[in-house]
Amino acid sequence: MDNALYVGLSRQMVLKREMDIVANNIANADTTGFKFESLMTKEVPGPPAFTLQGPRPIKFVGADGVARDFGQGGLRRTDTPLDLAIEGQGFFKVTTKAGERYTRDGRFRTDDTGRVTDQKGDPLADEGGGEITIDPTKPGEISISPDGVVSQGTERIGKIGVFNFPSLGALEKTGDNLYQNASNQQATPATDAKIRQGMLESSNVNPILQITKMIEVSRAYEQVTQMMSSEADLSRNSVARLGRLQ
Amino acid sequence: MQALRTAATGMAAQQMNVEVISNNIANMNTVGFKKQRAEFQDLLYQTIAQAGAQSSDQGTIVPTGIQVGAGVKTGSVYRIATQGAMTATGNKFDLGISGRGYFQVLTPSGDTAYTRAGNFSTNDQGQLVTQDGYQVQPAISIPLDATDVTISQSGQVQVTQPGNPVPSVVGQLELASFTNEGGLSLQGSNLLKETAASGPPTTGTPGTQGFGNLMQGYTEASNVDPVTEITALIVAQRAYEMNSKVISTADNMLGVANQVKS
Repeated sequence: MDNALYVGLSRQMVLKREMDIVANNIANADTTGFKFESLMTKEVPGPPAFTLQGPRPIKFVGADGVARDFGQGGLRRTDTPLDLAIEGQGFFKVTTKAGERYTRDGRFRTDDTGRVTDQKGDPLADEGGGEITIDPTKPGEISISPDGVVSQGTERIGKIGVFNFPSLGALEKTGDNLYQNASNQQATPATDAKIRQGMLESSNVNPILQITKMIEVSRAYEQVTQMMSSEADLSRNSVARLGRLQ
Repeated sequence: MQALRTAATGMAAQQMNVEVISNNIANMNTVGFKKQRAEFQDLLYQTIAQAGAQSSDQGTIVPTGIQVGAGVKTGSVYRIATQGAMTATGNKFDLGISGRGYFQVLTPSGDTAYTRAGNFSTNDQGQLVTQDGYQVQPAISIPLDATDVTISQSGQVQVTQPGNPVPSVVGQLELASFTNEGGLSLQGSNLLKETAASGPPTTGTPGTQGFGNLMQGYTEASNVDPVTEITALIVAQRAYEMNSKVISTADNMLGVANQVKS
């Protein structure tokens, strides 16, 4: 009977983690370039804690991994020249002090020296890993073509790099809308991605889906707790009855 | 329970969002105002299982790890310095900047502040001043007997005086520009100050390379778009509601856990 309690406990732990992930999705429902996540579960076979009923194996439940949905978020128009959205698969690369990071968040700006940077001041990389610098004293507006060529007026001043990975699962989030390449796979130039100037990619969190998921998690948690309570009742009752028989 | 704290960060972020949006709406009719945008980023992640870790001696790796995020934060409130529309006022001391640049204003503390609000007046000595009475730099004095004032696109100030049919030049306005306009710090009263992030100002004559033209008799309207702001407000309110729903659900789960009989 203890087995049911432990199986229930493993389920509770997984549900709690799932709730944490749903809460993070909802908190980031309005974060540019955010990709939603969901928890994958797996069965974890284990020896029964209580073997009197025979050595029947039992299966606990455990967290297997976090699946990240890299599906396209909706594009919204902002008409700000350095707001960029990627349509298709690919990432911008920024060079931080901690190393290269990848992002879908295209809210770029210039710093005091004219370099194009992200919100934290880390420079946006061009296709070769260099920086892109805008000279504000030169005439002409900044225009960025779908393939990433940056021009000021009629002069070409650089090309924004868009990179892709063979396996997106190995990317790790480091916060600040950034991803780190955690495996030894190489970033390759993205071929089918287009840059849209004056637009931003919204978070791809679907609020209805997440709220439904949250209700599901909450009810499943109640159910498993109910089951554990019944199990506890069962063992208490049997102990009481056995005591009376003596 | 992490979900409670995560949802609280979501509510705090949306509250900040509403504050920024309401400031934009409140300043919809403020001359030279530039809209702001609260920019959100996800918070740190707790890595429970590392993606790419070795899962066997044969060199197989864990394809996806387990990372649980801690919510959202406001990365920055970014000022969007796009051009506002020109509004004709007919007032000869109203100046709109069409293009890059800021007027320079001498504040009472002796520092130079910068502004796009060109709704100037003259004070009792005929000096060109802002609505707060701060002098525009370089100082321009309009003779008290001037019958007409003309300010050219390149910032030359000419006055016509009685008894002299030829207008005389009394000054030349200059504009300042910054490499990173978004880095200027807001001072209120339509004034901005230089920071390390904005870079030092470059001054120049209006209409020359890198500087906009002056338009006499116009003011620059704010670049706030009411429809966008209202839409953003609705999104912010719904997002706030959703996060509060997460808090009540997480609380409910904790309540259920507390009812387990031992």
